[in-house]
Amino acid sequence: MKIRLTVNSQVYERDVAENRTLLRFIREDVGLTGTKEGCGAGECGACTVYMNGKTVNSCMVLAVEADGAAIETIEGEAVDGMLSKLQEAFDRNHAVQCGFCTPGMLISAKELIHNHPKPTVEQIKEGLEGNLCRCTGYQQIIEAVLDTTGQLTRKEGLEYAGK
Amino acid sequence: MQENSDSARFAYVGKSVLRVEAIEKLTGLAMYVSDMSLPGMLYAQVKKSPHARARIKHIDISRAAALVGVRAVLTGAELNYRLGLYIVDKDILAKGEVRHYGEAVAAVAADTLEIARKAVDLIDVEYEVLDPVLNHMDALKEGAPLVHPDLGTYDYVEAAFTPVPGTNIANLSKLRKGDVQKGFDESTWIIEREYDNPSVQHVPMETHVAIVQWGKNDNVTIWSSAQSPFTVRNLFCYAFKLPLNKVRVLVPHVGGGFGGKAGIHIEPLVACLSKKAGGRPVKLQASREEEFSLLPCRSALTYKIKTGVSAEGKILAQQMWMYWDAGAYADYAVNVTRASGYSAAGPYEIPNAWIDAYTVYTNKPYGTAYRGFGHVEFHWGVERHMDLIARAIGMDPLEFRLKNALRPGSVSLTGERITDNTGDVLTCISEVAKAINYGKLTEEEKERERRTGRKIGKGIAALHKAPAMPSNTATAAVIKMNSDGTVNVNVGLMEIGQGSTTAITQIVAERLGFRLDQIKVTLEKDTDRDPYDWQTVASKGLILTGNACVLACEDLLKKGYEVAAQALCAHPEDLTHDADRIYVIHRPSEMISWARLSIGYTYPDGKSIGGPLIGVGQYIAHGLSNLDKETGQGNPALDWTYGAHGIIAEVDGVTGEYKVLKVASAFDVGKVINPGMVRGQAVGGMIQGLGTAICEGYVFDKQGHLLNPSFTDNKIPTTMDLPEEIETIVVETPQLDGPYGVRGVGEHSMISVAPALGNAIQAAVGADLTHMPMRFEDVWRAMRNKEPVDNWITKTPAGSCRSDPTTRRHEPDAAIAP
Amino acid sequence: MLHQFSYVAPKSREELLDLLSTDYAHAKILAGGTDLLVNIRNGTVKPGMVIDIKKIKEFSGITYSKGEGLVLRPAVTINDVLRDPTVRDYFPLLQECGHDLASYQIRNRATVIGNVVNASPCSDMAPALLCLDSQVVLASSRGTRTVPLKEFFIGVKKTVLAPDEIVERIIVPTQAKGAIGKYRKLKRINGHDLGIIGVAVAVVNGHVRIAVSSAAPTPVVTEGLPMDIQVDEAVEITMNMISPISDVRCTKEYREFMVNTFVRRLLAEVRG
Repeated sequence: MKIRLTVNSQVYERDVAENRTLLRFIREDVGLTGTKEGCGAGECGACTVYMNGKTVNSCMVLAVEADGAAIETIEGEAVDGMLSKLQEAFDRNHAVQCGFCTPGMLISAKELIHNHPKPTVEQIKEGLEGNLCRCTGYQQIIEAVLDTTGQLTRKEGLEYAGK
Repeated sequence: MQENSDSARFAYVGKSVLRVEAIEKLTGLAMYVSDMSLPGMLYAQVKKSPHARARIKHIDISRAAALVGVRAVLTGAELNYRLGLYIVDKDILAKGEVRHYGEAVAAVAADTLEIARKAVDLIDVEYEVLDPVLNHMDALKEGAPLVHPDLGTYDYVEAAFTPVPGTNIANLSKLRKGDVQKGFDESTWIIEREYDNPSVQHVPMETHVAIVQWGKNDNVTIWSSAQSPFTVRNLFCYAFKLPLNKVRVLVPHVGGGFGGKAGIHIEPLVACLSKKAGGRPVKLQASREEEFSLLPCRSALTYKIKTGVSAEGKILAQQMWMYWDAGAYADYAVNVTRASGYSAAGPYEIPNAWIDAYTVYTNKPYGTAYRGFGHVEFHWGVERHMDLIARAIGMDPLEFRLKNALRPGSVSLTGERITDNTGDVLTCISEVAKAINYGKLTEEEKERERRTGRKIGKGIAALHKAPAMPSNTATAAVIKMNSDGTVNVNVGLMEIGQGSTTAITQIVAERLGFRLDQIKVTLEKDTDRDPYDWQTVASKGLILTGNACVLACEDLLKKGYEVAAQALCAHPEDLTHDADRIYVIHRPSEMISWARLSIGYTYPDGKSIGGPLIGVGQYIAHGLSNLDKETGQGNPALDWTYGAHGIIAEVDGVTGEYKVLKVASAFDVGKVINPGMVRGQAVGGMIQGLGTAICEGYVFDKQGHLLNPSFTDNKIPTTMDLPEEIETIVVETPQLDGPYGVRGVGEHSMISVAPALGNAIQAAVGADLTHMPMRFEDVWRAMRNKEPVDNWITKTPAGSCRSDPTTRRHEPDAAIAP
Repeated sequence: MLHQFSYVAPKSREELLDLLSTDYAHAKILAGGTDLLVNIRNGTVKPGMVIDIKKIKEFSGITYSKGEGLVLRPAVTINDVLRDPTVRDYFPLLQECGHDLASYQIRNRATVIGNVVNASPCSDMAPALLCLDSQVVLASSRGTRTVPLKEFFIGVKKTVLAPDEIVERIIVPTQAKGAIGKYRKLKRINGHDLGIIGVAVAVVNGHVRIAVSSAAPTPVVTEGLPMDIQVDEAVEITMNMISPISDVRCTKEYREFMVNTFVRRLLAEVRG
């Protein structure tokens, strides 16, 4: 089936099989591999993208459903090589380790900040609940979001015994 | 190798330098093997066993082979290569018999994933289902079915392991220190109990994936999401009898490892498919479900501890029996057994110790390395046991720990004497106790109890671990200067998210006195290009590779100084340098830039000296030895990292539901190279430890089918599962042979989280748990002394999650026998 | 990687019902897809045709009127319900249940009607909708009919829905407006999880209703019980309507205990 949609504001027109997921369309047909597959079953959030302004698990969306849609992926987040504030905060707060959950996590964090410009920690946790990360333990990710919204009270995260 | 000095004078060491590869990861441009495809690449799928144990009567591949687009179909019958890290016991595809649910029996490579999937469905396998042996305790019994009847014919590493042919014992490691019977005889208290944990999955976010091309003249190229490229190459060449220089392993970014990607896994199968498909590259990526049973897990453990304690609360003797469930193949489990065997008592001094540690084959998915390498599992028993003893003898658990913890002058289980610089577990324990106000409830906490109707409890647990590695573990670093004065650093140590690349960059910049942006440590590994490194495991990377880098820096500087001295007509001792140039100390204007030296110095008349500046550093672990097979004595430890966790938990005394309010963790890391990253390891490992403590674990039915191979029923912690408060404390007792005094901390944060939580839960509501994870239902059952549920097949028949302690006062004739 | 099927996205209700009148045997309705695509991936469902109903304009939106009550249409997602001010003000129990359903991204796609039509015993929306005495409007080319939600479920993942029928609306009656209710879900972790059990207790129109999920082949609900009912009696009535099993998530014994406990606690909460 022929579909036409935009990904990061670029128009794509492709013939896709009906059973192709939006995730595989983005990764294999469009060639943007920043969006990851962690489970294929909507449980881990690694494949989170924006579809028409809403975050979705792209492994649980058919590409044909996205006909006419506007898709935004992690590759659209930095503009002209400049990291977004959110990306900078992730960097600054050591919120990245292996990096595999990071693209999905950033998309969810962006949506969270859109919904709650000054989120509480509880709201951050709820907003990122659908994005599994096995490396970081999430704490520095939460701090990165707080930093982005200007709410991080700076303190040394590591305490040195006897100092 | 120590460069210990006041932190303040370091430019980069001890600073939260940003992750060197963060930007590519943040922008989605970081390339993982999952993201790669090659021209002409085929896609593989695997036919898996639906049975735990069955004889393969017949495999019909004709319909699969006839499908258009299928380029290769393989079964075990045509593959005569065997694999194994320490015991060579695993066929690439099952031959004759399948030994666990999810085992690969056939495989297909096809033009598309869809065709490969369809082809796998068209393969017909006729099985004769056999009775599996599922429980490792059952597997030890006389007459139990043998998982490997041919165990006696397998190759294995004889220096370290002892398989017992004719049984399901893949390895028996022993340790004997002092006279345990005498110790028991002198004890006032003898306390004995058994502790269990199930198999657990690592859950890297990127599942195992490999692309292999079997090229002309047996030149094989492997792209893999591997932790240890040189191990993949080594074992691959061993299996296929190829020279090492024919096989090239390339590893780009890796989406998490945690030990699950340390050995060799799907690479040989993919290679065979490529060979059969005429050399076209073939890609296989495990689905999340396959990650649970086609790929390995963490071994289950049953751990029995019997401790003799004096009237004053000193441990006098301890006898320990470990039964590790290898699953169907030995893989790393035998080495987990060995490494756990020699640290089995935790960070405590045991004057008289006796350990038998068994690795037992069963018909279950097999165990491998997992962050902590056995220590997460056995510390569950040790640290629950410490609380049990303290309660039994009427001593505070904190005091009991402090009384028995290792300290300078103590002798470890293997006979190593602890020194002032081994690390400080006493401070770690004291710090976490202080951080959670151990032993009492604050006014706020009392108020919270009144408000919520829930009970608050506090628990602590200590930990230790040394790298589990061969005595000759080695690595190297090559630092190459470019003609603009920048350097490329080649090391074999993998970046799997732990941040080593950044820490190595900091060490090199510090030691060379260069700016960070002059240093590029290669991130993607290539066994053809990078110098040998044993493996990226065991929390040894920063010490060994760090030392190799310091040596390489010194080599580079020395070579640079030699050329500069000649060019400047000065003695090398009179030279110094900064990031840009070498100059004469007392006449700084007499200088040569690094750029002009980098590929050889050329005089104004064109004559040249020197040549490209390359610094080389080799480092091998020093002073380690094999352990005596009968007594376990020797020196296995490169370094010991000590730590402790303190946990505050809030428990519903009616339902058993609970919440973790605070976790305070302390580790003696020697020296912090990068605070932001140390914290990332500390918190990340702690949360992974909470997952193990709260909810993770394999559930099987009585036939050995894995019932929860997905995120639907194998939950892992989410953001919502974070404690309300997290505190991370570091102690810096320098490791004298670590670069800048460092020691490893990658695994330690995960160890002893579970027992600290178990101790807190017991303090809150009295639930006395001996089995993890501690599901809400388990807590509820324990509170009410109900029969526990056994979903984990740790024992048969049902009922495992409880082990009633035996406590008795001095009985001189107490037998050693279990 | 999914099984092969054809895809249609009818633009109107009539087109959809026409399609179902001839092609229903192998067709599956796609709304949020959060269950359907998982099932197709697992191979438990193998449709020949997937019918996407989200392009049908009249299938969107939440409306409320005194005459009709609260109307939830097929494309209404859980997050639509969580954002809707009318639901927030008048039917807060729906939000409480919706909030506990999976993760944010899933709630962006998962629909209320999908959650009901799948008839999973562990449906998160069913307890609230059952307490609020919701009605289900079924439509086919043969006409429409209205069934109380309580009678809609007939077994594990089975409903009274005929193969050519769709659920066109769920109606929460005006009488349920302002109902006070609470939902408690037992999970294995604090993060997103299926309900191990779920209990909703609501005061509707001067009566108490208790609904339970994950404890019987279908979500179940009591009749309206008197406001002053004895706690033990309410518990007994609840326990009589459930038949929990043991599975990988939990034992029957703990499920029974937790339903009992949650009913007691929630009753106390809603009765103040």
